[in-house]
Amino acid sequence: MMPTRRVGLVALALGLMAAALLHTRSARPLYDGIVVPPEPYRWESPPPNLKAGNKPPLSGEVILPVQNGQVAGGGPQTGDNQVIMFFGPGFFKAPAGAQAVKCTIEPEANPPAAPSGIDIRGNVYRINCVGQPGDGPVTIAAMYHLTMRFPPGAFKEIQYNGGSGWRALPTLRSGGGDPYASVNAPGFGEYAATAPTGAPGDSIVTILGRYLEFYGILAFVIIFGVIAIIQEIRRRRHQQPTTPRKKT
Amino acid sequence: MIQVRLAAPRRAARITVLVLGAAVLRTLLLPAGDLVSTATFGACLLAISWRERGRSSSEPHWGRGRALAAGLATGAVLLVPVAAMPLSGRAISAFWEWAAIAAVIATLEETAIRGALYQRWTEEAGPAVAIVAGAVVFALIHLPRYGFGAMPPDAAVGLALGGLRALTGRVLPCAVAHTVADWGAWFWA
Repeated sequence: MMPTRRVGLVALALGLMAAALLHTRSARPLYDGIVVPPEPYRWESPPPNLKAGNKPPLSGEVILPVQNGQVAGGGPQTGDNQVIMFFGPGFFKAPAGAQAVKCTIEPEANPPAAPSGIDIRGNVYRINCVGQPGDGPVTIAAMYHLTMRFPPGAFKEIQYNGGSGWRALPTLRSGGGDPYASVNAPGFGEYAATAPTGAPGDSIVTILGRYLEFYGILAFVIIFGVIAIIQEIRRRRHQQPTTPRKKT
Repeated sequence: MIQVRLAAPRRAARITVLVLGAAVLRTLLLPAGDLVSTATFGACLLAISWRERGRSSSEPHWGRGRALAAGLATGAVLLVPVAAMPLSGRAISAFWEWAAIAAVIATLEETAIRGALYQRWTEEAGPAVAIVAGAVVFALIHLPRYGFGAMPPDAAVGLALGGLRALTGRVLPCAVAHTVADWGAWFWA
């Protein structure tokens, strides 16, 4: 075997082995090009037209240590990344005697009704933290950060129900068309993405903009790809040696 | 001959800087949206490959069918650890357009890195240096989008693709393997 090929074979084998060893669950394939669209929203109670193919939403849970009555920081999230919590150390206070705190995020199968004039968009999630052992109540010393995904269509804000009815929270919507919004969460209870009843979804301009972005890139790569192929074919034709003519 | 030897490192370094510059430009343009940044990145890679297109290698290379099979096999091996993850649930109906874009960008990266850059570094410092230089550049151009955590696996994949280039003498199998690995993101990432 030629030295170059031997080097190539060794590099190929080493590279493949290293790639397999370095791969973790959090790693992703390379996926160049535009960002991979998120997987479809997982509905607890899907609209009739989305029932087929809908996957049930997943819950999330984390157990955190307690030191001097303070709960360590953490970032629990649901298994499908539809809800993500984040809090620093000392944001939560554990009940007396608790050695750990269990925080859960669960989609609600039977959520309380939305206030009049408001539609709940997507799932309602119940967020709770309890001390362990004993399931004693955890108190909140500082507001924690909560990010929720909302389904396609209208969206205005995230609302919170701590047991005394729904109330709207100042909501920060992600940029770039990402279907996520964040709030500073004031307590444990139910959270839901909402929109005014009858609010229109994305405007035609927004939808056209999204399509323009995607198909613009597609058009770009097709045009340049075709040009490159044509040029390569022409170059090869020019390079072909001319066969010598026989003398007659 | 001496002139060629002296000129080569400058050229290899220049192509390296150009490819890295394309990635930096893509990052700087990200606030303008995916369309602008990806299109600019692709155009830069195309320009680099185009500029070097006349430099065909005299090294022996595998036949097209055999090279294609090697690319498919390498791509499949790269997907083995990813395929252990749960399926993403994205609709197959929307896959094809995304797959076309991913394939073109992956192919442009390969023609620039395993094509132009590999060729120049091989002329100057030999295939081993060319493979390593390509792996480092490959990891660096993915850094802005995917962070430091992705650098070691990306460098490993770059090493494998560089090895495939040296083994087969072609860019085609590298483009095929890279594209297959990218497509896996739709189903598992």
